[in-house]
Amino acid sequence: MRLAIVTSLALTSMLAAQRDASTLPAPKTYRVYVACESSDEVHRIAFDGKTAKVERKIQVGYQPTEIEGPHGLTVGPNGEYWYLSIAHGKPFGLLYKYRTSDDELVGECELGMFPATMQISDATGLLYCVNFNLHGRMLPSTVSIVDPEEMVEVARTPTGPMPHGSRVSPDGLFHYSCAMMSGHLFEIDATTFEVVRDLQLDVEPPEGHQSVAKPTWVQPHPTKRLAYCALNGKAAVAEVDLDKWVVVRRFQTDKGPYNLEVTPDGEKLIVTYKTAGKIGVWDIESGKELAAIPSTRGVTHGVVVSRDGRYAFVTAEGKGAEPGVVDVVDLRELKKVASVDVGLQAGGIALGH
Amino acid sequence: MWAAALIAAAIPGLRAQEHVVRVTPAELTLAVGQKAQLKAEVVDVGGRPVDDAQVFFFSRARRAVSVSREGELLARKPGTHTVIARARIGGKRGPQATVTVTVPQPTPAKVALRGAPKQLYAGTTVRVQGEVLDENDIVRDDLSVALASSDAGIASIDAFGQVTAVAPGAFTLSGTGGGLTTESKIQVLANPVRKIDLTAAVQTARTGDVIRFRATGLDGNGAATDVPVHYSFYAAPDDTLGNAATGQIQQDGRFVAETPGLYTIVATCGDVTARTTVRCSQRFPQKKKLVKVGHGLVADAHTSDLWVWEGIDGRDYCVTGTWGANGDALFWDVTDPSRIEQIAKITVDARTVNDVKVSEDGTLCVISREGASNRKNGIVAIDVRDPRNPKIVSEFNDELTGGVHNLFIDQGHVYALSAGRRYDVLNFQNANAPSRVGTFQLFEPGASIHDVWVTDGVAFSSNWRYGVRLVDVGNGIAGGSPSNPVEFAKYAYPSGWNHAAFPFTSPDTGKFYVFAGDEAFPYGLNVENDPTYPRGWIHIIDFSNLKNPQEVARYEVPEAGTHNLWIDGTTLYVAYYNGGLRVVDISGDLMGDLYRQGREIAWFLPTHPKGKVANAPMVWGPQPHKGHIFFSDWNSGLWAVKLVDDKGRRR
Repeated sequence: MRLAIVTSLALTSMLAAQRDASTLPAPKTYRVYVACESSDEVHRIAFDGKTAKVERKIQVGYQPTEIEGPHGLTVGPNGEYWYLSIAHGKPFGLLYKYRTSDDELVGECELGMFPATMQISDATGLLYCVNFNLHGRMLPSTVSIVDPEEMVEVARTPTGPMPHGSRVSPDGLFHYSCAMMSGHLFEIDATTFEVVRDLQLDVEPPEGHQSVAKPTWVQPHPTKRLAYCALNGKAAVAEVDLDKWVVVRRFQTDKGPYNLEVTPDGEKLIVTYKTAGKIGVWDIESGKELAAIPSTRGVTHGVVVSRDGRYAFVTAEGKGAEPGVVDVVDLRELKKVASVDVGLQAGGIALGH
Repeated sequence: MWAAALIAAAIPGLRAQEHVVRVTPAELTLAVGQKAQLKAEVVDVGGRPVDDAQVFFFSRARRAVSVSREGELLARKPGTHTVIARARIGGKRGPQATVTVTVPQPTPAKVALRGAPKQLYAGTTVRVQGEVLDENDIVRDDLSVALASSDAGIASIDAFGQVTAVAPGAFTLSGTGGGLTTESKIQVLANPVRKIDLTAAVQTARTGDVIRFRATGLDGNGAATDVPVHYSFYAAPDDTLGNAATGQIQQDGRFVAETPGLYTIVATCGDVTARTTVRCSQRFPQKKKLVKVGHGLVADAHTSDLWVWEGIDGRDYCVTGTWGANGDALFWDVTDPSRIEQIAKITVDARTVNDVKVSEDGTLCVISREGASNRKNGIVAIDVRDPRNPKIVSEFNDELTGGVHNLFIDQGHVYALSAGRRYDVLNFQNANAPSRVGTFQLFEPGASIHDVWVTDGVAFSSNWRYGVRLVDVGNGIAGGSPSNPVEFAKYAYPSGWNHAAFPFTSPDTGKFYVFAGDEAFPYGLNVENDPTYPRGWIHIIDFSNLKNPQEVARYEVPEAGTHNLWIDGTTLYVAYYNGGLRVVDISGDLMGDLYRQGREIAWFLPTHPKGKVANAPMVWGPQPHKGHIFFSDWNSGLWAVKLVDDKGRRR
């Protein structure tokens, strides 16, 4: 009898344990796409909370013996397609469209010189991509506006020389980019395709295309009427009040702030320090840097934050034959928790679905 | 009126099911240059306007029909085009309507008959092509022209526009297309030719030799006439085992045989013919072969271009670049080609050092950079007076930041490609302080420059679909100089594969050619593990008439693809990627397919089990030097080979 009770209890306990295990949520897997600019590859990375690994390498481009330079990445709003800019063409760069389910190329569209970063507006359904044009004379360049359904460029809006950091406001109604060589922040009406405002980010207005600030990125705040601009040449981040259209704060940073991302709750700003080779995590409210974490390799480049705000995925290009890398930073613990090698000159990065 | 509402696209997850965009008009036809205003509103299922909705317009063919965000259309090019009216409702994306805009082709204005003569001799044939032109004199490619003869007893016309004069008299040639007809009166004259005098420049020749035949129609008195004579031939090849076509003849009387045998040339004028026979023998009865002399293995990176030169110490050196790697340029002592020795390495901030060149005096090396970590690529100049201790003396990246793929050094000036569509001319007479003195750019839409080669004050650039451009940078032919490059000739071919160019003046004929090399990877490029199968050939373009260059011959190895090339004397050296190194005889006149004519002297396939891709030939660039042929191989490094007689069979 006693044995029967013990057995019964043990069985009940075992069953309960099994039931608990079956109801536990499966470990969450985060996915990012990474563009490797000097190996003409996109790597799809999976991170399970502990380990990051390359799930797939996708060879991109159409001129095999040239470095074509995949640069910017974005995933469409419903996650069905991802988009990639190819910097170097004959001579114009391309926008590629890939199906997410099998990473198959399904469309392309020619853009301007060195198309770079981009984003799709939820409000217009259109894709906005800066034509960075780092070639030759520093003349004003453009933002290409693309209908991603048909992969047709529907407009090209002139802005400034070497525009970069193409980002859309949370409501999808405005597009922002920085002209690196003139030091301007540009605001484009996402519906009229026209520049509605520009803001000089240099303290002293530069002569010609000699911006000292050299802004490389603009990142709108997810909930407030603010945007953050990486002033690469001044080792600073400028906070811009989008209503007043003025710089309201400047954060002195480590060398070479390059790309930015704000956590979904709007509390932390992640800064890649390209020159210093670090990842900065800032508390936006206080304007204090919480941590500066060395990248696994030099030339820190792109950053995205997971939708739950827990992790930042950061690319570092490396130099020469060094592989690029994706570092995963735990934004609670403020430390690097995983790294994975990818192709040469890892740059653009986008969150998968 | 509300047809657009019916085709409003359903956008998943949005309120497309509840709301539609109505556009007025839903479809329309506009002439080129005509404007129209679209109006749009968003309505709910009951047809009531939605308060918080806005509509904006964009065109999916903005260069053909543009539209303002407010819906004003402007037709620019013929065709059927799509304009989208897309709604935003409450700040979110809403439904959209598609408006079809038809822009008709311009009205046909006339029919032209190209090649129609005023008179013909009976028994002769000409080809006439009919075209419909619009009011802007632009050919309407969508319309065909039907040709007809008013009197088939005088002249007949076949389905391909070939007009054959049958008997003396007059007839009307008519062309009908696009609702229009044009007519041309043509006189058919009695053919006075009673005999054809057909002579050959030689009785015997080799395959590949261009033989000139002259045929003259003689009248009943034996006097020469101007009646055109048609040439054809038939062959009795030595090899009768299923041989393919064996030769080629042009209507100017030039003939070339591809395989050994007897060739009978037939000259025809009306019902008069003449024949003469020549014998063509094998071009190279004594076979030659390329043998390996030395090899400098590069196994850890792909190798790009090479340059071999005699150093100021009298020894021979070579520099090679690397591709998709660590930004290395490797320096070699090749004085004894059987003992190729790597003597130095320069590493720059780059992933690819695609091109390497050395000045004529052997003191300065320039290398190109792509993939620099700071994206300031440009070029690097290296002092190579002591190639065992090369020293970087300067970098130049101003306006060359996007990456330099190819370059050339000539007479103290460096020609460096940039931005894909121009090359800059840099004065390197003081290598410590180089400066830009000139620029050459292609301004055609979508034009792109890939390579430039300079000799005798002429820059030969290779420009993909824009072909070969000849630019005076000091020759004087067009008043150009390094600081004032002046284009004076050009030629393009349809494939768009033009990748390299090398000039050649034939010492035998005096003709001036440009050999234009393709690069194409229709089956991709395998960077690791597997071989690659490129395609393409050498286009041989006769530039003797600079205003009217003619593509007269080709060298095409089947199932392989070209890269760089070099010409020394009357010998062509081709880096034929997977086809290895090829050596080709280009003496004499050139016509037709040199490969099929047996002009190839020898070939060599470099392989190495420890190559970057093992045992996979991928020859990048050749350079003959002091009796040897050096070449770089993408998978296995630097090689030296020598051309020798093939003494016979062996294992």
